[in-house]
Amino acid sequence: MHVPILKHGPYLFATVQSALSDADLHRLRDDLLNKVGTCRSEGVVLDVTALDVLDSFAARTLRGIAQAARLRGARTVIVGIQPSVAFAMVQMGIRLEDLATALDLEDGLALLQRNEQERR
Amino acid sequence: MFDSSGRPTEHPRASQAMPAMDLSPQEVARRMAWLEFSEEDTRNLAELNRVAHGYANEVIEDLYEHFLAFEETRNFFRDEATLRHVKAMQTQYFLRLTEGNYDSEYVRDRLKIGAIHHRIGLDVKWYLGAYNFYLRAVGKRVFHAFRDEPEKAMACYFSLKKLVFFDIGLAIEIYLTTIRRQEEAIRELSTPVLQVRAGLLILPIIGVIDPTRARQLTEQLLRSIRANRAKVVVMDITGVPSVDSKVANHLVQTVDAARLMGASVIITGLSSEVAQALVLVGIDLSRMRTVVDLQGGIEEAERILGYKVTRAE
Repeated sequence: MHVPILKHGPYLFATVQSALSDADLHRLRDDLLNKVGTCRSEGVVLDVTALDVLDSFAARTLRGIAQAARLRGARTVIVGIQPSVAFAMVQMGIRLEDLATALDLEDGLALLQRNEQERR
Repeated sequence: MFDSSGRPTEHPRASQAMPAMDLSPQEVARRMAWLEFSEEDTRNLAELNRVAHGYANEVIEDLYEHFLAFEETRNFFRDEATLRHVKAMQTQYFLRLTEGNYDSEYVRDRLKIGAIHHRIGLDVKWYLGAYNFYLRAVGKRVFHAFRDEPEKAMACYFSLKKLVFFDIGLAIEIYLTTIRRQEEAIRELSTPVLQVRAGLLILPIIGVIDPTRARQLTEQLLRSIRANRAKVVVMDITGVPSVDSKVANHLVQTVDAARLMGASVIITGLSSEVAQALVLVGIDLSRMRTVVDLQGGIEEAERILGYKVTRAE
């Protein structure tokens, strides 16, 4: 399942629409990192509202995306983790400690904008 | 065993208690099989029915004399009208024992009676004690009625006993079912999630946290974070008597899960005992933001959210 990436101002938005295979995740990672470069983006909002499971591989990939994107100058926020998904994740020991998270798209974008103001 | 409760109002309540119990004909049959209740027992009881009509009133009168002799049971019969009413109901109940057709309908009727007794607050010890009185009072008369056929008397008495035990089983079960339901209700009541400002939730936890409750609590909190779009949650554990490693781990998990949803959690009300216990069990709480009391927690939360509370001059 291909994940469309939308550009809006200095930000990129990627909304996952359905369950992702490992290959899908890799493709998302490659697409995002390319686009961060071509669009000269400052932030990435990754929306996982539609996912009802986030396993350790997905978590590792998300973390990888965030770290690599930071190296290319963009901050990443994961938004829309469902209550049941969040609980299942911490029970499996997946905490995404070094990743920024927010409730939804709106909050995620606000977080990025606030960070940017602080940097200036 | 009855109070003035022949009113139709309690029937919905009594039937509410039903769904939790399996009333299918198969279940009834299984219970009967466990008690070794057979066709022969039904026949024995049918034979008793004839005799029962003769001594029913006597037994009921004796039973109520017994009830009135004890303060705890006497209190249920405040006036003559009540007493008359419950005696009539009791007679009906009593005769029903020997009328056959021990089917789902019979069970439903028994459960209803049990539910009424639980509702009026009759303790199990009095309820079950009354069955003992029944068996003794009836036994005496059965053996008298069949004094020429002691074997027959014995068989009839045992049949009756099986059925009475069947009824007792249902009665106890309805008591337990009701208690379980009340416990659930209390548990839900005891963990409210309250919004004090836009984006700020308070979760006061009172009472012992067991694994089931801890889980329920977390789920409720996470759902509330989503529903209220909360950014900060103040979890107050002043009312939690003790925190062991399991509970502490759960608190850590809750904090992490809330963070995954973009909310930070502040834990308040750690008493000195609880704080020391947590240090002793060696759980890493460095990721948790803690403030000594609820007031401090709310102030901290307001600071994070950018609220400034000033007193009007």
